[in-house]
Amino acid sequence: MGLYKWFKRAFAGNCDECLKLLELILDGEASDEQKKSFTIHIDNCKNCYEYYNLELTIKKLLKEKIESQPVPLDLVDSIKFKVRNNL
Amino acid sequence: MRYLSRGFTKIMSIQRQDSGNTGMAELKKRKYGASERISIFDDEFMPHIDSMYNFAYRLTFEEDDAKDLVQETYLKAYRFIDSFQKGTNAKAWLFRILKNSFINNFRKKSKQPAKVDYQEVENYYNSDDIDHSITTDLRIESVQHMIGDEVSNALNSLAVDFRTVIILCDLEGFTYEEMAKILDIPIGTVRSRLHRARNLLRDKLKKYAKTMGY
Repeated sequence: MGLYKWFKRAFAGNCDECLKLLELILDGEASDEQKKSFTIHIDNCKNCYEYYNLELTIKKLLKEKIESQPVPLDLVDSIKFKVRNNL
Repeated sequence: MRYLSRGFTKIMSIQRQDSGNTGMAELKKRKYGASERISIFDDEFMPHIDSMYNFAYRLTFEEDDAKDLVQETYLKAYRFIDSFQKGTNAKAWLFRILKNSFINNFRKKSKQPAKVDYQEVENYYNSDDIDHSITTDLRIESVQHMIGDEVSNALNSLAVDFRTVIILCDLEGFTYEEMAKILDIPIGTVRSRLHRARNLLRDKLKKYAKTMGY
């Protein structure tokens, strides 16, 4: 049996397994094997596909839409000064 | 030559072990020279001050506290600079110091409950999560229409431990391993806490979407 068929048989339709992988995929922590079996599953499972897309969208939202505060300039100066003067 | 001062030979010695980034508890035998310290500080530590300040701000929610926290962290980092291996992961090292300083000095002041009672359970995945209304109640379109403030508020409303893992993972891009070192918890706990935090965040976003009429 080819590897592809083995994966398909083992993981397609198994949402619990997919969920365990989902956050690893989301966070770039999945192995190549895990990525393969995850992809096969979401290609065949609408629920998991949508769930994954939602989580991905939220992650992007956090990264792209949250504005970062500018660092108060006096803080940078204060730190540099104290460090150079052993305070 | 044998009358060279001990200090001089210390400065000249190159660290023998490649032991990576260890905590401050274990001071290395290396000792950087004064100008080397400043260059490490300026080149490897200071560039992270934006991330550090934003993290501190999201922990304390007050500009003055955030400034104090960041300053304390950097001064501590300088004091213990000898235990930092040049060229290694300064950002994670600094974040760890900041998080510890926060717990030691600021957490008591925090208006939020100090500890959240949650269970770190390995078997927390349930495909019921996706079967029930989660995907239908919170639509991708609603999420995409949200503005920064709404997302920011949702994040801020989480308890500090949950907020922290989202910040470290999604905003700052740390790996699970780095997060485990920063927070001093096992990787399994990082994962379960992230999972829980994301569930909570999704619920908050769902509520916002409803009140905004999305």
